Parts: sequence; structure tokens; C-alpha cells
Amino acid sequence: MGYEMTKVVTMKEAVAEHVNDGDFLFIGGYICRTPFAAIHEIIRQGKKELTLTRSNAADDFDMMIGAGVVKRFIATFLSLGFFGLGRCYRRSIEKGVPHKIEVEEYTNLSLPMMLMAGAMGMPFVPVKDMAGSDLMNVKSFMGDDKYKVINSPFDGSLTILVPALHPDVAIIHVQQADELGNAQMWGIGGDCQVGANAAKKVIVSCERIVSRETIGKDPSRTIVPDFRVVAVVEEPFGAHPGYTPGFYDVDFSFGYQYQQASNTVEGFQKFLDEWVFGVKNRTEYIQHYVERFGYSTFRNLQAEFDYGYPVSYTY
Amino acid sequence: MKNHPDDYTKPELMACCGAREIRDYDVVLVGTGFPTMCANIASHTHAPNARLMQESGVFDAQPKRPALSVGDPCLNPGAAMIGTLLDIMGMFLQAGWVDVGFLSGSQVDKYGNINTTVIGDYNNPKSRLPGSGGANPMGSLAKKVLIIALHDTRRLAERVDFITTPGYIDGPGARERWGLPPDTGPQVIITNKAVMRFDKATGEAYLATYHPDTSIEEVRENTPWDLKVADDVHETEPPTEEELRVLREVLDPTRKLSAYERRGYV
Repeated sequence: MGYEMTKVVTMKEAVAEHVNDGDFLFIGGYICRTPFAAIHEIIRQGKKELTLTRSNAADDFDMMIGAGVVKRFIATFLSLGFFGLGRCYRRSIEKGVPHKIEVEEYTNLSLPMMLMAGAMGMPFVPVKDMAGSDLMNVKSFMGDDKYKVINSPFDGSLTILVPALHPDVAIIHVQQADELGNAQMWGIGGDCQVGANAAKKVIVSCERIVSRETIGKDPSRTIVPDFRVVAVVEEPFGAHPGYTPGFYDVDFSFGYQYQQASNTVEGFQKFLDEWVFGVKNRTEYIQHYVERFGYSTFRNLQAEFDYGYPVSYTY
Repeated sequence: MKNHPDDYTKPELMACCGAREIRDYDVVLVGTGFPTMCANIASHTHAPNARLMQESGVFDAQPKRPALSVGDPCLNPGAAMIGTLLDIMGMFLQAGWVDVGFLSGSQVDKYGNINTTVIGDYNNPKSRLPGSGGANPMGSLAKKVLIIALHDTRRLAERVDFITTPGYIDGPGARERWGLPPDTGPQVIITNKAVMRFDKATGEAYLATYHPDTSIEEVRENTPWDLKVADDVHETEPPTEEELRVLREVLDPTRKLSAYERRGYV
């Protein structure tokens, strides 16, 4: 038995094979490196009753909620950032359109700690936030397992414990990975590394596939090692309208169009018809983008290069 | 004697009020907009050794334009450190290294509790808002919390609909009972009409200074609780020439802060 040769597949194959109805998904990103190609594919394939998590969700989670693929959301925050409140999220919670999702509320400290506990094999973890707030008074599908309050066995002080999370699948978008899944990332990290390593299976979407030798030139950048990864998908421009440091900028005007479209159910549906159901894959999405907005708009998003100093690991 | 030009806008005055709360060598956790402006004015004037970080994982960013979110691309190149949420929220904030946290909220009450979760009943809300994000841990664990709010009887409240982020909760001793670290909590609420500080004995916000175009009466009328007034209450010091120069020439040449005037900060 030698090494496997490759885990490289298309996004369609990765989602069809590894994401099941009812699964619990961690989806990485922080405007930075949002795995939008995967998100569109999940919507295209009509997955159902998913539970989603990540700290600071944005247009990507809003779109999945509006598309009706989400049942539950382990949340800290959801907004369109500069463009205000998440329209689909509001419609779901306030009006039950397309249905009311269940929300378990945490914070940008407690949730990444829970993912860290999952990644580290710890059953639970103490956190110093949430105390005294109404976040302790609202419990959804996790019920009494949302948190526990104990007196510390060490000094008797009031201590809040939150449980480890173990997503079925994590989907992350990174700058580069090799064919077996060693995934390298730089720039704003969010909760990507703990979220990926807390999951049973990891799907890596990347801007480019590189050789194992290239990975070895700067191994400190690897956030997930290959043995944790089940699929590798090369998706250039895969985080659009989010950004990927070193590759392309945030597309603010596209973000504005999503906000305008998602103001109404009809507008949102038209947006999905055009950008999700109207294309088969990310390649067609890019073609459509260029046809619709012109090559210069696409080109203007591409990053200028400003390389750092190469690091040396020799001794 | 400092020179105070009189052609400033309300958001500029508020940004300067925020900046004056920051001391040299403070470690400051910021969001975007106002908080970043406040912290940057401070670091270009009286607090050159103050250090800024964003919850997304960035320390000492050197953005070429004002950041539009804590995940903004412009925060990446040139930063001294880029890590993860856990680095900032765990290793620095939870571990007690953050001196100043900046927050704003859709609703703020007299104890400095902040609501960014729902307007109305939690289960059947009138408006579903974004949620805590990093606000709850910042309000729980930063040594000094600075709050930015609009001053009217809807945005300010006797009691918020939902405590997303704890201030002094329901009064003196509550933070201690909940095990929040000693000597933490809200320090000031900066609004478009006034600067309110907190009476540690009651946990309530009181009027410290009122802005030049308003009055004690107007501020009290627009505050939905029986607002106490400091013995030494006085007019807010307008922006100095130096503060305005830094703000307009260095930090915000395209006058992004004026967007806040359209949002009611007048």
C-alpha cells in the first residue's frame, strides 16, 4: 500500500458525496476566504435540514437560510456588514419565510472555544463570557446542554462550561493545498482552523493546487493536515464576493446587489436563479460574471502582488 | 490655550470624545467606523503607544483606508500579527490584556447594558438584529468599555429588551455576583448630545458633559430614565485644531465619518 494519489474532485462531487441531508456543517470564512463555491453547490443540490455554525456569519449564511437548506444555526452573529441586517435571516425569524430556523446563541469567544474543545478532544470548556446576560436565558435545540454553571473545583468561583462541537463536515476555502489536502492559509484567520479540526471530515476548497514540495517550503502555514481531509477542490475566485488575501479583493458592489435583491423574496429568488441555479459550476459563474459586468470589473478585483520575504527553514 | 475651530461635525466631536478616553500604552479592541477613528485619533495625538486589535485576529493593522469591517482586506497587509479569533478573544481579551473595548448598540440602558439581539419579544421579535458577535465578551472582559449610541428615548432605555452585552446588569454588585472580572465594565456612553459616565455606587449612567449646541434640559428630556447630573457638569470640549487635523488629513481624508450624520448622528 502506497500513498493515495489524489483527493482532487469537483465541487459537485465533493458536496454530493460528503454532505448529507441533516448534517452539521462548519463553514469557514470571515468575509476573508468564504467558501462561496461550496455554498452555491449545496444550494444547487437542494440539501435539507442542515445545521450550520461559524462565528460572525454573513451573506453566505443569509443566502443558505433564504434558500431553505438550513434547519438550525449555532450562531454568534449574522449581518451583511456594511450593508446592514441579513434580510433572509430576518424574514426567517420574524415571518417564518421560507421557514423559521432554530437559533442557539453564543458569542465570538464561546463559540470558537467550543470548536477548539471539539478539535482538542475536550468534552467541554470553561468560558468567562455570557455571565449575567440574556444569552443565558434563551435556550433552543441544545436545551440544558447549551451551557452548565458550576463552582470551580479549584477555587469555588462561578464558572460557565460550554460543550465541545463536532461538526459532521467542515468546508473551508484556503489559498493553496496539495492533492492530498494539506491546506495552507494566510491572512485573517477567524475560527477556520479550530472549526476544520473539530469536524469529522474536511472539504478543502482552494485557489490553487500546489505540489507537496511547495507545501514543504513553508509548512508553518498549514492549518489542516492531509489525513483529516476527504476532498480537495480547486476553485479559483471561489470566495467571491468575499476576498482571498493575495488573490482578489472584496466585491462591494456585488454585496450591494445582494442586499438589494434580498430585500424581497422575489428579488432573492431571481438572484439565486441567476447566480446559483443559472450556472452549473464556478467556471460558469465566473464566465457569467465577466459577461454581465465586463472583464475590467473582474480584473480590477484581482490583487496586486506584494511578496513578503521568503522564509528559510534550513539549519 | 488650545484652539477650537467651530466648523466640526457631530461625528467628529464624538470621535474626539472617544479618543480622549484612551491612554498611552492602552491595548484597544475595536470594531469599525467610530471606534477605529477614536482609537486612531488617540494614537496620532496623546497616545502614540496605544495598540489596536480587531477580533478577527489582527494586531496593529496599518490600513491604507478606513476599514469597513473587522474582516476588511485592508487590515491584512502590514499588520504586526494576524492570528485567529481565539488569539484575540481568548489569548488577549479573556486572559485580561485588553484595556479598552469599544461598543455600539441598537439599544443601551441606564446600567450600560447593550442589546444587539432583538427588538421586542425574543421568540416573536419585531426586529431580529445580528446578535452578540464579539460584543458580549468585550463588555464582559475589557477593563474599560466605551459605548457609542444615538441619544433619543428609543435608542436609550430604562431597561433593554434583551441584554446581549452586560453593563452593570441590574445594579451595584451584579457583575461581581456573576463572576465577571473585578474593575471591568462600562466607563462612558458617548452620544450625539452628551457624554455620560457611571456612578459606581448605583451602576447608573449620569450626565458628565453636554455637547455645545444642547443643554442639560434637552439631554434629560431625551433620556428615558431620571438622569442624574454631575456636580461639575459642563459643556463638552469641542475638537481641538490638532485633533481635527489628524482626523481630516491623516485618518479620514474622504470624510467617511460623514455617513454617520445621515444615520442621525447630528
